[in-house]
Amino acid sequence: MEMISTVVVLVIKSLIFIVGMFLAAAYLTLIERKFAGHVQQRPGPLHVGFHGLLQPIADALKVLTKEDLVPNNVDKVLFYLASLMAFVPAIMILAVIPFGDPIKIFGFEIKPYITDINVGLILALAFGSISIYGVIFAGWASNSKYPMIGGLRKAAVLIGYEVALGFAMVGPIMMAGSFSLREIVQAQEGFFGAFIWYQPLAFIVILFAILAETGRTPFDVQEAEAELVSGYNTEYSGMKFGLFPLAEWYIGTFVLSAIAVILFFGGWKGPHIFGAFSPFIWFFLKVFMMFMFFLWVHWTLPRYRVDQITEIAWKVMLPLSLLNIFITAIIIMVKG
Amino acid sequence: MVKLKYVERPKLSLIEKLFFLDFIKGLKVTFKNLIKRTVTTKYPYEKLTPPKRFRGTHAHRVKDGNEPPSFSVLEKFMDINTGESRCVACYMCQQACPVPSLFRIEAIQLPNGKKKVVRFDMNLLNCLYCGLCVDACPVDCLIMTDIYETAKYQREKCVIHMDDMSERGKDFDRRRLKEPDRIWIDDQERIKLWGQIKWS
Repeated sequence: MEMISTVVVLVIKSLIFIVGMFLAAAYLTLIERKFAGHVQQRPGPLHVGFHGLLQPIADALKVLTKEDLVPNNVDKVLFYLASLMAFVPAIMILAVIPFGDPIKIFGFEIKPYITDINVGLILALAFGSISIYGVIFAGWASNSKYPMIGGLRKAAVLIGYEVALGFAMVGPIMMAGSFSLREIVQAQEGFFGAFIWYQPLAFIVILFAILAETGRTPFDVQEAEAELVSGYNTEYSGMKFGLFPLAEWYIGTFVLSAIAVILFFGGWKGPHIFGAFSPFIWFFLKVFMMFMFFLWVHWTLPRYRVDQITEIAWKVMLPLSLLNIFITAIIIMVKG
Repeated sequence: MVKLKYVERPKLSLIEKLFFLDFIKGLKVTFKNLIKRTVTTKYPYEKLTPPKRFRGTHAHRVKDGNEPPSFSVLEKFMDINTGESRCVACYMCQQACPVPSLFRIEAIQLPNGKKKVVRFDMNLLNCLYCGLCVDACPVDCLIMTDIYETAKYQREKCVIHMDDMSERGKDFDRRRLKEPDRIWIDDQERIKLWGQIKWS
C-alpha cells in the first residue's frame, strides 16, 4: 500500500513537472523572441493575443500539424531516436532538481522535488551529456553534409567543455561536502554564504560550459546558420525538428540555469517576504535572471570557431577549474 | 602596384583579459538597444508614404496644359484630347527598357492623317523598376508613382493599360505634383519613427 501510494504520488508529480516544463519552455520561446526583437529594435511577436501572448500556442499547433517528412536515405532508427535522445534526457534532469524544502499544506507534507538522491549532480551531468548524443546522432543519421559537419563539430566541442564542466563543479561540491543538490543548497547560509563569493572561477567556467552545452551563441557551432544551413537539424521537419531547439535552447538552458543557481546562488534561499511560496518565487526568480543572462549573451556575441572553442576549453577553462579545485582544497585544509 | 599595409590586431591588456571588458562592452550595447524604442511600423495597419522619387507602379501624365515644349511640337500630329494620356507612341521607353518585350505599344493613323495611340500595355511581372523608361520619355508622359502594393491574384491583372495608367497619373499629380522633390519627406510617421532629418 505504501509502495502504491508512493508510485502514484511520484507519477502525479512527474506529470506536473513535465507539463509545467512544456508550458514554461513554450513561454520561454516567447520571452526569447521578444528579447531578441527588442535587442534589434523591433517588437517581436505582437499580433497573436496581447503583445503576442498566445504566440507559443499558435506555434505549437503549427509545428504539431506540419507534415513530418523523413528523407529517403536517412538511417531511420537513429533519425527517429535522435530527436527523442536530445529531448528526453534534457527533461529528465528535472527529476533531481529541488525547487524548495518540503512544505506542509493541509497536513500533507509536499516535497517540491521528484527525488533527492545522493548523486544528483552527477546524474544531472550525465543526462546533460546524453542529451548531446541526440545532436551527434541527428548529424550522423541525416546522411547529408551539413548535418554531418554540425554533429561532428558538436562532438569536438563536447569533449572540450565537458571536462572543464565536470572539474568546475568539484569546487562547490567540496565546499558542500555532498553531491545531493538539496544538501548543496542547505550548505549555503545567508547572503554571503552563497558559493558565488567563494567560487567565482568555477562560476565563470560553468557559464562557459553551459553556453557550450546548450549551443547558445558564442559556441553555437553545431547549427551555425551562416555556414551550415541549419546544422544538425537541417533534414528534420515538423515536431521532430521542434524538439531540438526546445530541448537545447529552452529546457536545457532552463535546467542548467537551475543547476547553476543551486550551485552558486543558494537555490531557493532568500528572505521570506512572499509568504509560504517565497522559496519557489526566489528559486524561479533566480533561474529566470540566469536564463535572461544567457539570452543576453546569446544576442550579443558573434560565434567562435571550433578550434578557438576547443582552445579555450583546454587551455583556459580546464586549467582555471583545476586551479579552483587546488585553491579550494588548500583553503578547506587550512580552515579545517 | 598595389601597396599592402598590414595592421596588427591590438593586443588585449591583462585587465581586459581578466575581466572580459570587451565582452561587457558588447553587453552594454545590446542593453542600450533593448531599452530603446522600436523602429518598426505595423505594416498593414500603418503605412509609410514613400518619397516622391519612389519608383512604384507606372503611370501616364495626361494632357493638362503643363506639357514640356517638346510635346507642343508633336501635338499637331497627334489626336489627343485634354484629359487623355499624352503618349505620342515614340517607342523611346521600349528602346530604353532592358526587357523591351514587356511593352506593347500600338498606334494607328486616323482618316484625317493624325496619329492615335490605341494601346500602351506594360507587363509589370517582367519589369525591374529601373526607371530608364521614365528618363527616356521625351514628353514627360511616362512616370513612376508612389504605389508599391502591386501584388495581384491573377497574372493578367499585373498588366497595366493606358486608361488606368492615365487615371493613376492624374491621381498622383493631384496628390504630389506640388511637393518639392526631395529624397526624404516630412512624413508624420517618419518623424515619429526616426525623428526630423536635418539635411532634407
